[in-house]
Amino acid sequence: MLSRQRLFWRWQPYDLPGSDAAFLRACRDNAAYHIAHCPDYAAICRHLDFAPEQLQTADDLARIPVIPTLFFKRRALFSMPQWRMAMKVTSSGTSGRFSRIGFDWGCILAEAPMVVNLGFRHHLVSPKPAHCVILGYRPHKSNHTGVTRTMFGLTHFSPPLSRTYALNLVDGSYVPDLDTVAKTLKKLESSPFPTRVIGFPSYLWFGLGRMEELGLKVRLSKGSRIILAGGWKQHYAQEVDKRILYALTEKVLGIPEENINELFGAVEHPIFYNACEKHHFHVPVYGRILIRDPDTLEPLPTGRVGLVNLISPLMAATPTLSVMTDDLGYLTPGEACGCGRKSPYLTILGRVGMTDIQTCAAGAAELLGQAEGKGEAF
Amino acid sequence: MILANGTLLPDSRRKDLIAHLEEEINVTRTGEPLDAETVIAAVDALGKRLRSGEFDALLAPFFPFISNSTHLDTLRHSWTELDTSGHSSTVLDTPGQSSTVLDAPGHSSTSLDGSGHSSTLSDLFGLVCRETLEYKLHAELGPELFGERRFSQTTARLLPLGTLLHVAPGNMPGLPVYTALEGLLTGNVNLIKLPRADKGLSLAALSLLTRQEPRIAPFLYAFDLPSGETEELRALARLADGVVTWGGDDAVTALRELAGPGCKLMEWGHRLSFAYVAGYEDRQSELSQLAGHIIETGGRLCSSCQVIFLDARRREEAEEFCREFLPYLEAAAARRPGLGAGAPASLSGHTALLERIVEGRTQGERLFRGRGCSLLFRPDEELELSPMEGNVLVKCLPREGLLAALRRKKGCLQTAGLLCPEEDRPALSDLLARAGVTRITRAGGMSAAFPGEAHDGEYPLRRYVRVVDVEK
Repeated sequence: MLSRQRLFWRWQPYDLPGSDAAFLRACRDNAAYHIAHCPDYAAICRHLDFAPEQLQTADDLARIPVIPTLFFKRRALFSMPQWRMAMKVTSSGTSGRFSRIGFDWGCILAEAPMVVNLGFRHHLVSPKPAHCVILGYRPHKSNHTGVTRTMFGLTHFSPPLSRTYALNLVDGSYVPDLDTVAKTLKKLESSPFPTRVIGFPSYLWFGLGRMEELGLKVRLSKGSRIILAGGWKQHYAQEVDKRILYALTEKVLGIPEENINELFGAVEHPIFYNACEKHHFHVPVYGRILIRDPDTLEPLPTGRVGLVNLISPLMAATPTLSVMTDDLGYLTPGEACGCGRKSPYLTILGRVGMTDIQTCAAGAAELLGQAEGKGEAF
Repeated sequence: MILANGTLLPDSRRKDLIAHLEEEINVTRTGEPLDAETVIAAVDALGKRLRSGEFDALLAPFFPFISNSTHLDTLRHSWTELDTSGHSSTVLDTPGQSSTVLDAPGHSSTSLDGSGHSSTLSDLFGLVCRETLEYKLHAELGPELFGERRFSQTTARLLPLGTLLHVAPGNMPGLPVYTALEGLLTGNVNLIKLPRADKGLSLAALSLLTRQEPRIAPFLYAFDLPSGETEELRALARLADGVVTWGGDDAVTALRELAGPGCKLMEWGHRLSFAYVAGYEDRQSELSQLAGHIIETGGRLCSSCQVIFLDARRREEAEEFCREFLPYLEAAAARRPGLGAGAPASLSGHTALLERIVEGRTQGERLFRGRGCSLLFRPDEELELSPMEGNVLVKCLPREGLLAALRRKKGCLQTAGLLCPEEDRPALSDLLARAGVTRITRAGGMSAAFPGEAHDGEYPLRRYVRVVDVEK
């Protein structure tokens, strides 16, 4: 599937109209591949009267059978034998059911230029070595969650000097240790090298709040960054106004707003969404987003609120060409942002009440909540 | 944390405590028995404090909704509900099994009554009072309660079963307290395995109860048993005369393995319910109430309608019914509050369709899509789980075939919502009852609670006592 590589090696990441033809071609090839290699997917397409040739214009993308993430949580679909996959990744960290998604080598080959390209454009890449503090899970061979791997991967945008984790495996289960994190941050203050704090926004919020309560203030070296991954979306109850979080970050860690990167993605749709300077997630050329009517699943016009449908021809091991999240959100035309990027941006409003769906960040938040209850946090 | 004999202890004391538990329980059971009046008085006093608002801060996070009824059995019913997913939920942490306490799709702690009002914390207040508890005791154990019955050569008395081990899942807040309360009312020593998702509510409530009435303290032990502590659970099961489980088949099977022979099993498992339509008394009103029930409960309760069976033979009749009923369902769905309220219905319905496609089960079916709901005609007669969230199944099942079809689901039948002409009601009710159904209601009352009603065909308190005959 060269069409996929052609799409992911494109140089202009936010030129959607310019990439439409390449995107449609890659989607057609991807759908044809899954139909040929995954009998279950072929049955779904047949039942819903879909054939790859129907994809001729951007409007046709809505015709691709959309598979809810709920489906992947109940049933694993693969389009190649396991030995041909690079890895298998799961969506959930600690509890609940999770999706099992296969990653093929071609997918990894395609992701690399996307991540490097966007990493440069969003100032993530730096030749200067940095200490990494990860407000997330320490990788372990028993942990197959996408977010763990993503956070580990994110430590490589600059040469990593050290890694400190907030969630460590103790006797087979993850235990939060924000105390060590706070101590490490204090120590890193005197380091000549910058620090990168990578993690769940909710952990940053709890951690900073606690540090402020204790009167702990840290001035990290110039060039230090915060990289937030793994979901605001799971956290409506405590979702903080982002501005308050940025102000707190500056106050407690001395890291200014422009050095905060926010990322968005899903195991079923591992596209590297980066927030722009105005904190908007513009859709990059590697994916498309449709918003669908919550009552009928029909596509809605731009601006209307509905279920978020993510489309990308990235994956060949699992048919995730068009997946439906259980998030409610809406798209805004790129011009309204003011950052100069023309592609529309996604705003996520909340998650619909499907408690079947447990996410990594929700699981992590659960751990944190338990620890707080026992007075172990800090 | 552990609650033992009125004292809160850290988990580190658990092994030690369990090792000496038998002696402690023996001392308790040799001493003064616990009578129902002591428990009722304590609960009633706690209820008064609850109603005064003393515990609002403690309870509020756990009870977004509570059943709107003044009868304890509503809670009992809502608590057994669930895990209608067909993917059974595991309460026990047995090796090689992942421990999922909560895994019903669209599962929520919301419970709705037949009249369609979702309820609030204040509705809990009616449940913890003297009148309700006395009513329950009398309804289930009869007027003599723990008095003596005299026969020519013997007298018979009801005594507690002895020691009960309760294993409750975390899918309804307060369930561990409720099941413990039933054990206390019948005078038993209660060992409670707390669910992982309990987050302190049960411990707090039980500890308040023992402080309110210290005589209750030796009859209550509650444990936070983490995953993989099968040995400790087995040790607790060895001490018990009876094990009370709430949950899916996996939980029940796991506990059956743990409890040795001679240990009585009391299983409150997951059930399926359906509507049976054989005509109408008031067509519009009944269809509208049934639609309201389906949307409000979302198929999540044991008493929720999963399948609408029609007393009909021909597919055309069923399709005609779907066309007629869909607008009623849509009207009820449109009343769901909030942005994107139809999304769980659409996602569940679509996911279920994809599952049927890959399983090759779409043959002969017909899907009637509505806004935020759907009706699926299936050409078989089986009672099965619907895709839930307002997506319900419609099947033909002539009354001649009713008993045979329902017998295939023995052990998991619960409520039948019966829609029929008045003159047919006695005969059809009788037929449904003989087929194994334990509750027969009208269209809108499938999930309503009725005073004095049994739980899945049994009076629970009767199972927690035994009869002792003594020769004169």
